[in-house]
Amino acid sequence: MFKLDRKLIISASVVTIATVFAAGCGAAETGAAESNVVAKTDISGGVFYPVVNGKTSVYHVNMQAQGMKLNHGRVPTANELKAWDKDVMPDGTGLPEGEGSVEDGEELYEEKCVSCHGDFGSGGGGYPSLSKGNAYELQETLTNNRYRDPEADGPTRVFGSYWPQASTMWWYIKDGMPHPKSKTLTDNETYALTAYMLNINEITIDGEEVDDEYVLTKEKFLKVKMPNEAGFEPNIDGPNSLSGIRTYYANPANFGAQKVPANIADRCMTDCQEKTAKTVRIANGGISEFNPPMSIVRDLPKTKEAINPKQAYADNCAMCHDTYLAPGSSDWAGYTSKGMAAVYKNAIDGTEGGMPPKGGSTFSDAEFKMVVDYVINGK
Amino acid sequence: MDNKKSQQDLEISARRDFFKKTAALGVTALAGTSLAADDKAIMHHVPWGQTWGDPITKNLYGVPSKYEHNVTRRYTKLLASGNYRASIAVTPIHESEGIITPNGLFFSRSHGGVAHVNPDEFRLMIHGLVDKEIVLTLDQLKRYPKVTRTHFIECPANGGQEWRGPQFNSLQFAKGFMASAEWTGVYIKTILEDLGIKPEAQWMLAEGSDNSEMGRTIPMDKVLDDAMIVWGQNGEALRPEQGYPVRLLLPGWEGNLCVKWLKRLEFAAEPWYCKEETSKYTALKPTGKAIQHFYANEVNSTVVSPSPEKPWKDLADGDIIEIEGLAWSGMGTITGVDFSTDGGKSYVEASLKGLVLPKSWTRWSYMHTYKKGETLLLTSRAMDDAGYIQPTIDQETKVMGVESVYHRNAVETWEVTAEGKVNHVQIRS
Repeated sequence: MFKLDRKLIISASVVTIATVFAAGCGAAETGAAESNVVAKTDISGGVFYPVVNGKTSVYHVNMQAQGMKLNHGRVPTANELKAWDKDVMPDGTGLPEGEGSVEDGEELYEEKCVSCHGDFGSGGGGYPSLSKGNAYELQETLTNNRYRDPEADGPTRVFGSYWPQASTMWWYIKDGMPHPKSKTLTDNETYALTAYMLNINEITIDGEEVDDEYVLTKEKFLKVKMPNEAGFEPNIDGPNSLSGIRTYYANPANFGAQKVPANIADRCMTDCQEKTAKTVRIANGGISEFNPPMSIVRDLPKTKEAINPKQAYADNCAMCHDTYLAPGSSDWAGYTSKGMAAVYKNAIDGTEGGMPPKGGSTFSDAEFKMVVDYVINGK
Repeated sequence: MDNKKSQQDLEISARRDFFKKTAALGVTALAGTSLAADDKAIMHHVPWGQTWGDPITKNLYGVPSKYEHNVTRRYTKLLASGNYRASIAVTPIHESEGIITPNGLFFSRSHGGVAHVNPDEFRLMIHGLVDKEIVLTLDQLKRYPKVTRTHFIECPANGGQEWRGPQFNSLQFAKGFMASAEWTGVYIKTILEDLGIKPEAQWMLAEGSDNSEMGRTIPMDKVLDDAMIVWGQNGEALRPEQGYPVRLLLPGWEGNLCVKWLKRLEFAAEPWYCKEETSKYTALKPTGKAIQHFYANEVNSTVVSPSPEKPWKDLADGDIIEIEGLAWSGMGTITGVDFSTDGGKSYVEASLKGLVLPKSWTRWSYMHTYKKGETLLLTSRAMDDAGYIQPTIDQETKVMGVESVYHRNAVETWEVTAEGKVNHVQIRS
């Protein structure tokens, strides 16, 4: 058992860590004589400010408050730990037993996810795409960079092509989805949806295709190897990862940073732009759809206008509804035939299918009914 | 020459100069500002001078003047992940003063909407590879010895829409994914002294209690350095948008790492691979490899005045105008800012102003003599005590390409037209 040594932690936590983990010291000593560079760096390549003479940088520190045994709080019960410790790690820590089929996953997806994430996870309305096709082929697009060729396709970063670990997907579906009603899926439903995600991304498990008949279990899930698992730097796995990260960020060439010359007076003050550099202006008008519209005028606020249902729709509903029960769509008949009271209630309270209460707006009930009328009638 | 004498000579000649200039200015001033009629604002009684003001019983929690209603956060559909529950509203940097952002203007970013946590039901669980696992109520958390620090928080996607060229003709949207405040809370290392940490612990998971259960993995280096759990923001409780009642603060590091509505800290030997440190907040390079765990926001700066929102108006030839800006670095303290009027071809040193604190906004300025009809390319370039200087756009994209979304800190340029209009441009190959 290791207890924090307060003297060490106060004077130099970087050193403390290096000692504790025997992972090599990341604190690089640099000559500070004629430069503006301080002596010690932290894991990110930034400055480590120790406490010296009761101060850290310009801040005074109450040295009396260091290293006291305060014993606040209480020990959590086993059930409390179980209730909150729900994270799922790549090695399967935290992953419960269970199973779910691609078929069940597709059904659940159609019911709870498609309204935002689109058919087969294609995205839409600004919501994230979950698949763009075969993950192994798309992983190869990650070297696409419009820096070299502005006309080229960019990289495709979706679950299958980009995410390094499948555990992230299971954990996020279980904890954060469906977005308007998170933490409502069972473990088996989460397995089913994860199976469907693997299916639409055409990911194989142990050489086996995750086809429509596939049933995903914990054992099979732990065999998933994502195509882009090795696509990230620096390495963060294993007992020496922290020292590796320190080394990575000690080298500015790794992350596009520039160092000041050792003598600060040597930095470029004339002729500092590349010869080929030119003035690039905003193309095609740029993005100027700001809410509220940009203004620096000092005047009295206008009195609140009556709501404009069309604008309210555009601001709050269009992102999903443009592709699903759009204004004036004939598909509305299937809902309005059951009576407007039910339609208004669903619109105001939200639905299981992903419609948030009042579309996420802050209108009054009466105002939002006007928006609903617009969406149904298209005018 | 006798130093004393020469000093005196200088003073006399400076004074003579001053009188000459004043006389010259006096003439222009008279010529330029003669009014056809007296100013009503002076000649009339103003309504607020002739009637009672509000009683002190009104607005017991104060609000800005109603004339300031345009000074707000703003949002745009482009930055919404589908809806405004996973989106960002940005800080009006063009209206900001000093190095503190008022709490109501602090940029607001969430992944599952702004949670409203009942402080009575707040619990913080600290567990995993510690000698003693604990649960704290809010009152118990606040019994730890407090520290107060001024730090900015910046979303690493600040400026991230503009890797391939300028898009926003707006300071608020080009640089407003950040804000600064004075934070009060407790160092996590102080709590860990109480709990004891096992030697194999390398990582800490911080998890929020919001709808998205936002989580991030943090290396022990930061936990044992200046990582804080904060509940105070500019002298009051955190705003809900900032994680009321409690958020994590990792000074200088990605805003996303500063998990809001905090509920749980777990320590482990291996990292977690949370959604927001894999699918997002990773910076793809032209090599096809993406930087993960990209912690610190690198040294950065911008001209704040003028801005596209607040161009120069009514400037006469020879007027002296203060060009002001902000500089900041998540890697340390700002040591200097260079300023350019030709888009970064040549630089002069600008002056730092006011408090210069680590991992904090720092004000700088340069006094410019305006020439009627001139066109300028205003660029600033900051340096920090970690030894870094802002790259040119070409230098940065050479390594990072243009697909990385996050951590863009190359120099930024405002073009001032002959009419004083200000346009966001980029100088690049």
